[in-house]
Amino acid sequence: MNSKEVISSGLLESYVLGISTKEETALINTLCKENSELLKEIESIEETLIDFSSKLSPPINTDLKEKISTQLNFIAEDSPIAKVISIKNETEGRLSIYKLGIAASLLLFLTSLMYNVQLNHKLSKVNLELAQLNETKSYLADELKIQQASLKSMDTELEILSNPKVKTIALNGMNSLDKKTAMIHMNMETHDVYFNASSLPNSPTDKQYQLWAIVDGKPIDAGMIDMHSTASVFQKMKSVSGAQAFAVTIENMGGSPVPTMKTMCLLGNV
Amino acid sequence: MIILIREKNQKAFSYLYDNYSKALFGVINSVINDIEEAEDVLQKTFLKIWNNFDSYDTAKGRLYTWMLNIARNLAIDSTRSKHEKIKSKIHSTSDNVYKFENILRTEDNTHDTIGLNTILNGLKEDHKSIIDLAYFEGYTQEEISKKLNLPLGTVKTKVRQALLKLRELAKKEIIN
Repeated sequence: MNSKEVISSGLLESYVLGISTKEETALINTLCKENSELLKEIESIEETLIDFSSKLSPPINTDLKEKISTQLNFIAEDSPIAKVISIKNETEGRLSIYKLGIAASLLLFLTSLMYNVQLNHKLSKVNLELAQLNETKSYLADELKIQQASLKSMDTELEILSNPKVKTIALNGMNSLDKKTAMIHMNMETHDVYFNASSLPNSPTDKQYQLWAIVDGKPIDAGMIDMHSTASVFQKMKSVSGAQAFAVTIENMGGSPVPTMKTMCLLGNV
Repeated sequence: MIILIREKNQKAFSYLYDNYSKALFGVINSVINDIEEAEDVLQKTFLKIWNNFDSYDTAKGRLYTWMLNIARNLAIDSTRSKHEKIKSKIHSTSDNVYKFENILRTEDNTHDTIGLNTILNGLKEDHKSIIDLAYFEGYTQEEISKKLNLPLGTVKTKVRQALLKLRELAKKEIIN
């Protein structure tokens, strides 16, 4: 079949109308590849049909194109610029997520840092308070020890003073200790001697008070008086039996075997 | 263009719509004769063209022919389901011709009825029937041969004659 025969057969019309048989369609497709005249004829038939049915068409709602468009999946973009913008937006979106993440972690870090600083501050404050409390505690413990010792000595003093066998002897001041008085408590049965030095002034740093008991007119050493002792007001002295009088002299540190008569400052009879 | 459609490019849709929507709508509306429903079918037609474009094979025929088949089939399906709904009788060839003529007569004044009438008035009755069956109803050559009780060769010749007349009248109309 030459071109003219094909054209005049009515096959091309059927082909464009889509009513030709499979074989006819295949034949025309093959012929068209080699013959531009046939293709031109086909295009002309198509144009006629499109023009004809377009004239038959009532006006189409202008919104329909947009309506259809929204239901279609467009993959490729209209222009490369649009693509770039799209990618950029995506990148920006991702970036802003990263930024948000960084900001969030930074905020978390700062919050935790502030919390830690606050906690440390609190901790050092608590530690300081604890140290102060410990100090107070040890002070109170010391104070308690002192009070306990004091109480104990007072108990001892009370026991001594309340004992009916104990005799209190007043020693009167003379020479340098004029107008001063000291007390001696002596158990007449056991011969224990206690000296109360609370009313006496401190002795010179290189000197010491020494107690003497007068037995049968002779002075007997009854012990050195410690002015710096805090244990008790009452100092236990050497036991002496048969004393008629007591005297106190100021001697060199450590005492003297014989009293220095001119430094005698206290004297009292039993 | 076909590559752009395959890439699902928005420009390609725009091109298809601008160039073919009127022609396809003309065909759909001729079958359905209800503008609202025809618009619905046109919408379905473009969705189907777009989503099934992979099934279009350039070796098998023209793009317009492929789209025409889709539009025509959807329009016929639509009338069929509508007819089934109202339990109406299956339309006959004479009904189609009557309907075709009826549509053409009831065209509103908003579009080119004068030019269209010029074309249609120049067509013989048998040519009108052939165009209706072949173009709007999509009857195969064999079906047309049976319907019109004509030999297959005559159908082919008549299809050609009808389209030649259409072309001639269209050209004349342009000149006028």
